[in-house]
Amino acid sequence: MPWESVLPSVLTRDAQLDASRAAVPPMDNDAFACFYERSSRSVWAYLARTSGDPALAEDLMQESYVRFLCATRKEEGEVAARRYLFRIASNLLRDHWRRPRTSSLDEISEDFFAAHGGSGQSDSQMMLGPAMKQMRPRDRQLLWLAYAEGYSHREIAEVTGLASASIRLMLFRARRKVARLLRDTESGRAL
Amino acid sequence: MKLGSCAREKEVKDLLERGHWPEACAPDLRLHVSGCRNCGDLVLVTETFRNARAAAAGAAKLGSPGLLWWRAQLRRRNAAVERIGRPLLSAQIFALATILLLTVGFVVSQARHGLGWLTWLEGLPEAGTLHLGNLWPTALFDPSWSPLVLVPAVATLVLLGGAVVYLVSEKQ
Repeated sequence: MPWESVLPSVLTRDAQLDASRAAVPPMDNDAFACFYERSSRSVWAYLARTSGDPALAEDLMQESYVRFLCATRKEEGEVAARRYLFRIASNLLRDHWRRPRTSSLDEISEDFFAAHGGSGQSDSQMMLGPAMKQMRPRDRQLLWLAYAEGYSHREIAEVTGLASASIRLMLFRARRKVARLLRDTESGRAL
Repeated sequence: MKLGSCAREKEVKDLLERGHWPEACAPDLRLHVSGCRNCGDLVLVTETFRNARAAAAGAAKLGSPGLLWWRAQLRRRNAAVERIGRPLLSAQIFALATILLLTVGFVVSQARHGLGWLTWLEGLPEAGTLHLGNLWPTALFDPSWSPLVLVPAVATLVLLGGAVVYLVSEKQ
């Protein structure tokens, strides 16, 4: 007689669910190198544009990948892996912002974003830099994930840990605000 | 804030996602976007963020994936070693606590028996020939002691010995 038949179905159902969602085997060196090549630029761009600090972005990106490799994932596939990576990066960013230190984003001088959007940068970056500075960190994350990465509301909820229902409203407000700031910047440059 | 959604916003979003905006877009939709605030915001924000993403991705300074992979392996290994070492540490703490309790119990029991050690030490030079039996202080091991006391004491000593050996080997 199998041991599962002795247990109540409530208990065995959980065991079956766990078995069906078995952990994805860890990536080997070559598979990781390919995944890194395909995903690292997006992750770096996300971290750099939402934090406004390229050096910090580099550190957080490295830590994100190390944690990603150490973690036990449940979902297989490149899309799920990328989403998981963005989730780790978002958590690291949030931890960084919560930490009381002088390099906190709220304490960065107003010239910081402008300085990084100087000569040699594209028009979009020069426009986006000052606008992003005036956005809240969470709004920057939401906007980047939605409009640069093209994630759906459900995916953004998974990455940020926010409630899926509230993302629509938050994103709508953030988009309206950043669009106004972008138009202001554009009209300011035209003058 | 009220969500003033536009009926054509989804249409514009689909075109942007497929990269059909603005070239492969119907003129009436283009006219609509120029007059609709929601759709105008959507186009402006999407295009700006996508351009910024492309520019930022090009400027990324990427490290070696091999180095990151090895760092992760090292971290996993350390975590595994820590996981294995945790029960050993608990065993060490338990052994130490037990031996301390037994020592205290032993000292208290000796004190109650009037410190028989002293009489044994005094009588030692008068014992003449050195026999093993003479070296056992009779007051130390009371015949009334049950194995319930002796067995845990010996077991704890063995456990502590193991812990000491482990600590020494770990340091080496």
